[in-house]
Amino acid sequence: MTPPIEKAREWLEATGGIVAVLLLVQFVTGVLLAFYYVPSVDHAYTTVSYVEKVVSSGAWLRALHHYGSQWLAFFVFLHVIRLFLTRAYVSNKIQWVVAILLLGLAMAAGGTGYSLPWDARAFFSTRIAEGLMAGLPFVGQMARLWLLGGNDISTITLSRFFALHVFVIPACVIAVVAWRMFRSNLAEIFGYCHAIAGGVVFLALAMWSLKYRAPLGPSLAAMPVNYVPRPGAQFLWLYQSLKYLPGGLGSLAGVALPGIVLTILVLLPWIKRQRLIAGTILGLLVVLVAGTTAASYLSDRSDPQTSRQLSIQAAQEDVWRREPFKPAPITLAAATTSGEDPSGGAPVMYRKFCANCHGPNGEGARQGRLNFPPLLDVSAKPRRTVNDIVEILKDPPAYGLSPPMRSFTDKLTDEQMKEIGEWIVKLKR
Amino acid sequence: MDHEQSRRSFLKIIPLGILAGVFASIGGAAFRFLRPKLSAASESWLDVAPVAELTGPQPLSRKIVAEQIAGWAIDTEEHSVFVLPAKNNQVLSAVCPHEGCEVAWDQNTNRFSCPCHESYFGPDGTRISGPARRGLDPLPMRIQDGKLQVQYIPQEQTTRA
Repeated sequence: MTPPIEKAREWLEATGGIVAVLLLVQFVTGVLLAFYYVPSVDHAYTTVSYVEKVVSSGAWLRALHHYGSQWLAFFVFLHVIRLFLTRAYVSNKIQWVVAILLLGLAMAAGGTGYSLPWDARAFFSTRIAEGLMAGLPFVGQMARLWLLGGNDISTITLSRFFALHVFVIPACVIAVVAWRMFRSNLAEIFGYCHAIAGGVVFLALAMWSLKYRAPLGPSLAAMPVNYVPRPGAQFLWLYQSLKYLPGGLGSLAGVALPGIVLTILVLLPWIKRQRLIAGTILGLLVVLVAGTTAASYLSDRSDPQTSRQLSIQAAQEDVWRREPFKPAPITLAAATTSGEDPSGGAPVMYRKFCANCHGPNGEGARQGRLNFPPLLDVSAKPRRTVNDIVEILKDPPAYGLSPPMRSFTDKLTDEQMKEIGEWIVKLKR
Repeated sequence: MDHEQSRRSFLKIIPLGILAGVFASIGGAAFRFLRPKLSAASESWLDVAPVAELTGPQPLSRKIVAEQIAGWAIDTEEHSVFVLPAKNNQVLSAVCPHEGCEVAWDQNTNRFSCPCHESYFGPDGTRISGPARRGLDPLPMRIQDGKLQVQYIPQEQTTRA
């Protein structure tokens, strides 16, 4: 018989099993999401919507990935605290270093993952990531440019976040975990308590993800001006801290300080006064993270305007979920290689609102059962003068046109409609 | 013995050296491959609105559409700006000077508020309170053929505060 004190100890050590199971869940669900996701600003939101609305079990798998990332950050942190309490930084240095590195990687994965759906939340989180980089002392502007891949946030930025999230960070996680496994007894890692604790946490995560959908904000095109973004639970501490800190200090708190703290903790097995240093750091972390997270919840609840806006957004997201999925046309670049100006001379607003369905040069498109008519030679038909086209843009049913053609009175000014009309009547086959 | 040992350690160095060579050559290319590609700052003037539309005491929210080549893409981007008819049609960028979220005009409290970290700005864009250290940034503007036009300056040319 194992003495009860030993038994209790074994269960305490099961945090490692929970972390292992959650990591596995992130890898499997992440790979599955990659089968549909497209990392390009014109299709990222559509493909994530498709996973949410159409693909079987898509909403559940994405919720597992979304909430799993938050649970992972929490349980890795818990695991670090457990290792501190059992003085693992003396008895099992590799285990300690691996746990600290995983904590950093879990946060990095969460930070890069937020931008990928390219919804309103991603828009703000990418701006914050840009701001945090730009505010770093000395290297700020350089770090910002390398992160964005150019002067401004663009589809190149999304590709970079994607490559970091899907290749670089997981490769680091695999390397770190492999190091841990080769250097220890496998039976010790996959013990009975570890497996049970991991299984129980997975069951809880699975049920949570059945009940709660992973959030997806409105698309950038449909983002209301008063949209209020909120980050995931593992970043609320940072979000709340930034309310108190101007740019440069925010970057120190959000990037430099966490980097320094993780470095000190990684080096802990080789420095003196271990108990005091790690105890102080972890104690402060628990107090600060718990305090700022609670403060962010309270401030959202206590401000009536914010809490009303947040509930309106939640209601709008519900409405969006019940709407059927709208497929997006793919416009191949072939038309632009025929030697003409790549912009094709189309007005900017045509390219923004019309080209998706009617083609960048008015050639039309077919999407499943939907047929988007070509606009070439349209001026030869009756009731298709510039003025008629302006009227069509305002009120398609009045001209006998049915959805998906819709009115653009809320998107275009009279002048822009006229510009589009004047361009369309000139289109010839 | 000594000779044998140094021979062995030398043999160990060869594969390590080859590996280092492979990574160093790819590493150099990777640096250039990933180096951010800067496009020249756009100096074109973008339409905001006909001047005749811009009246009243309130700041008016408008979108400007800027076109930029970003890597392989022609990126048509919308930027939010505010026109102040009360201040000789001055145009303010909606980008919060704190961390870059977009501020909104709140009619009820007569101020701009940032949805992220609670920075507030007066109706003329001056800072009232919050973590932002300065007011909203004005954009270069002109009036051409009865239309108000601005040049859009990306964030990197201003500094976060």
